[in-house]
Amino acid sequence: MSRITLDPITRIEGHLRIDVEANGGKVTNAWSSAQMWRGIEVILKGRAPEDAWSFVQRFCGVCTTVHAISSIRAVEHALNVEVPVNAQYIRNIMIAQHSVQDHIVHFYHLSALDWVDIVSALKADPKKTAQIAQSISDWPGNSEKEFKAVQDKLKAFVAGGKLGIFASGYWGHPAMKLSPEVNLMAVAHYLKALDYQRKASQATAILGGKNPHIQNLVVGGVATAINTENIATLNMERLIYLRTLMEETRDFVQKVYYPDLLAIAGAYKDWFKYGAGVTNYMAVPEFPEDSKNSKFSLPGGVVMAGNIAGIRPVKDHRDEYLIKNIKENVTHAWYEGNGTLHPWEGETKPDYTDFKENGKYSWCKAPTLDGKPVQVGPPAQIMAAYAAGNPKVKKLVDGAVSTLGLSMKDIHSTMGRLYCRGARAHIMADIALENLDKLIANIATGDQSYANHTEIPKGEYRGVGFHEAPRGTLSHWIVIKDKKIENYQAVVPSTWNAAPRNDKGELGPYEASLVGNPIADSSKPLEVLRTIHSFDPCIACAVHTVDPEGKEITKVKVL
Amino acid sequence: MQVLIYGAGNLILSDEGFGVHFVRHMEETYRIPENVELYDGGTLGIMVHFKFEEADRVILVDVVQAEGEPGDIFRYEREDIMLKNIPVKMSPHQIGLQEMLLISEMRDAPKPDLTFFGIVAGSLEPGDQLTPPLQAGLEKVAQLVIEELDKVGIQIERK
Repeated sequence: MSRITLDPITRIEGHLRIDVEANGGKVTNAWSSAQMWRGIEVILKGRAPEDAWSFVQRFCGVCTTVHAISSIRAVEHALNVEVPVNAQYIRNIMIAQHSVQDHIVHFYHLSALDWVDIVSALKADPKKTAQIAQSISDWPGNSEKEFKAVQDKLKAFVAGGKLGIFASGYWGHPAMKLSPEVNLMAVAHYLKALDYQRKASQATAILGGKNPHIQNLVVGGVATAINTENIATLNMERLIYLRTLMEETRDFVQKVYYPDLLAIAGAYKDWFKYGAGVTNYMAVPEFPEDSKNSKFSLPGGVVMAGNIAGIRPVKDHRDEYLIKNIKENVTHAWYEGNGTLHPWEGETKPDYTDFKENGKYSWCKAPTLDGKPVQVGPPAQIMAAYAAGNPKVKKLVDGAVSTLGLSMKDIHSTMGRLYCRGARAHIMADIALENLDKLIANIATGDQSYANHTEIPKGEYRGVGFHEAPRGTLSHWIVIKDKKIENYQAVVPSTWNAAPRNDKGELGPYEASLVGNPIADSSKPLEVLRTIHSFDPCIACAVHTVDPEGKEITKVKVL
Repeated sequence: MQVLIYGAGNLILSDEGFGVHFVRHMEETYRIPENVELYDGGTLGIMVHFKFEEADRVILVDVVQAEGEPGDIFRYEREDIMLKNIPVKMSPHQIGLQEMLLISEMRDAPKPDLTFFGIVAGSLEPGDQLTPPLQAGLEKVAQLVIEELDKVGIQIERK
């Protein structure tokens, strides 16, 4: 038996430690430990509820927009505020573009190097690479010349010893299986992808006023003034520029990212068998289409024990089952006691004990739905949309299942998670444009309203803001008392997925997903990274101090 | 010449937010010419590569974990960062600064001059205020940045 500690896991936001026990080349037990405390809830107490959305964007560097959206929805839910449809469309575009950006970065920059061997690309024949790329996509950037140029560049970097900077790459690992040609294609697109994630963030910034950290939310709508005649507001020229950016990112996602993903998934079909973990899933509906938040373009649902056919739909954000049954347990988390509390009663009282594998070992609480651990993220949303018969999701998933020779059950896996993220990006790129069309059509009817001005009343109010974020279901829970925040708790996607064991000793999703995974070389636990990265971990705290003293800051310890 | 002054950090972990506080301090205290952009980058990591690719000169401000007292200021140039035996990273977890600069080189993007001012943090506890030595550091780093800009013919005046 060997014990492997990866601390911290690289290529994520936040500080995550993973411990696994391996026996006979397989993982037999695992612990997930969030190594940073997020104290935002404490900072928010006593502040103005209408400002919370601005503070919570600093939870993290990457998921800024999502926290703003959840927070504003929490206040609107508490006070039962309607949101003009123009504001819903503007928020929807920002949400969808943020998702597109997030998924592009996750696929290429945060997870591709678990599957793509950069050094192997040196041996590729660029002509063959071009043939492969052109056979799966009509994207104009896939010429032999482009691939040759990237390869020449790579050769120069390898010769100069500079590739060592990619410290977390496991070149030449026995679990790397792509042909040199496919590796070259992926590396070239890895470099190109940066241009398109940027276009997606520009689109978000046009509407949000700033990115990161959008500035245009108000309780009851947005502060994006609409006047098609005025150059200082959201006008036709801005809307047309938005469309250009969004069409370019859509083409990249649908003609580069998605085909690359299928090519990589096809070469690693065994990874549809590993990494399922917890097969209870939850997704909330997203993209409200009316001012009352009663109609949504993507459905949500709850799946228990992997039973997709038995999915329980979640129709809107007032779903009583979710609101009543989402709780957090702290038996194995560094907080006082071992209780289970509803987020409105949630406490943030730290009680650090060092890493005790049978006691408290993480800053992450263990959220539960109806007492059970739950996995959140793109698989949940894709399953919910598929079960509800969403035509676009059905077409994509059925196409992939048949191309790769899979069944729906294979979604419960490491590669299934990566696949669903790509399918979600594909859908998000279209949804952003659909909402832009709706916005333009609605403005054309003469409706230029963008906010219902809302004063915070006296008295006590409770609200929850649900949002289906790129990493999964996010919820912000607020208690307002006499115009001030009395209590605030965020149950973020990575809290669900990175959860430690709960009060019944059930493993959290990361932990459960590692058990049974192969480990080819315990000094290079690439397989652990593959599975953990497939969740797109984001530990929602984002400390990132620079350490110039040459200290080893990432370690893999094998005991 | 297009100059980017990039403040990195997490605003809700006291001194961790120094770079962002710095950007705000500059905005409030000085008249900033049009060709100098103050950018609150939060903790974006690789997603911000394009800001670095667009500028002719980048001045990055962030906290560092270095030997010294809170408020001590260190200065690094591009070569210090790119030497792979000095693992200067914007994060041990995210994609680091070195890696980001290398990716830009691989993309054939222009290489801006880069100076990094790092300040030693006193506290990383939750909170939206700087500790006194870091608060005092705002103006010290501002003077260093102003000197830096002066060398390339850009004068910054107090409001």
